[in-house]
Amino acid sequence: MHEFHDCGDILRSLYQFHDHELSDAEADEIRAHLLACEPCLDQFQVEEAMRILIRRCCSAEKAPEQLRMRVRATYTHTVVITDTTD
Amino acid sequence: MIGTLDAQAVPAGAVPALRRGHPLGSFVMNLPTVPDQADLDAPETDAERAERFEAEALAYLDQLYGAALRMTRNPSDAEDLVQETFAKAFASFHQFTPGTNLKAWLYRILTNTFINTYRKKQRQPQTSGAEVEDWQLARAESHTSTGLRSAEMEALDRMPHSAVTDAMNALSPDFRLAVYLADVEGFSYKEIAEIMGTPIGTVMSRLNRGRNQLRASLADFAREHGLIGGDHDA
Repeated sequence: MHEFHDCGDILRSLYQFHDHELSDAEADEIRAHLLACEPCLDQFQVEEAMRILIRRCCSAEKAPEQLRMRVRATYTHTVVITDTTD
Repeated sequence: MIGTLDAQAVPAGAVPALRRGHPLGSFVMNLPTVPDQADLDAPETDAERAERFEAEALAYLDQLYGAALRMTRNPSDAEDLVQETFAKAFASFHQFTPGTNLKAWLYRILTNTFINTYRKKQRQPQTSGAEVEDWQLARAESHTSTGLRSAEMEALDRMPHSAVTDAMNALSPDFRLAVYLADVEGFSYKEIAEIMGTPIGTVMSRLNRGRNQLRASLADFAREHGLIGGDHDA
């Protein structure tokens, strides 16, 4: 159980808060603090935007079609065998 | 080419199992006996298992490829890593308990494969390139004041994708993977601990340090490239 004494404590727990890794009571305490503290709320918003940015940039990758075929070939031998006998 | 792939991807024990389900199976003579008789009791045929694998596991191909790209930092290694991962996953798919977390299971195989093969291979060139400098690290960890303020957040909208992926790639492999699994894939600390095979405390410390470094270098990028303020373009 965390004890949040000051903004430093809050900011140090911000990642966990974002990650939903705090208990309900702890998360409530953080929420109450954020509503009352402009600088901490500021940091919270920046972190929120950062996460959106990182997710957007890193999940844009699509596997090449050739890789999909290679992967499928590892468990669909039957198709390959049938093709060569025809 | 395909012959090579097959030999590499399918463990010896799985070959007879696959053939049993094939319509041409009756033409194949001299089949080795299946060592594990319990397999015969399984209600699922091999064709069905392949179908289920295709429907359930292949759905994660793009995600695993994205993760593999962040791990290996180059497309060719990423493709090999993903192929090896799926081959291993299929070979042990019968051991996977349906209804449990398939995505985490696949990521664990991906991570193990990466650590066991690619990271050994990459050990030498790893120190080259975009390692984060000590002073950068110290600054990033000492205080959040080097980060952005909400008034500067529009800089993030103008941030090119490559700036983010470059900053990710500059992290050390353990930090990079932890950050990727948390920030991009949304795994819980417990899941990341299982995937990476480390205690939760280690996950949290990697996340903290990796995220601090990543956010600091993105803030630096925004400042250096004039994305903040807009008075003067760099």
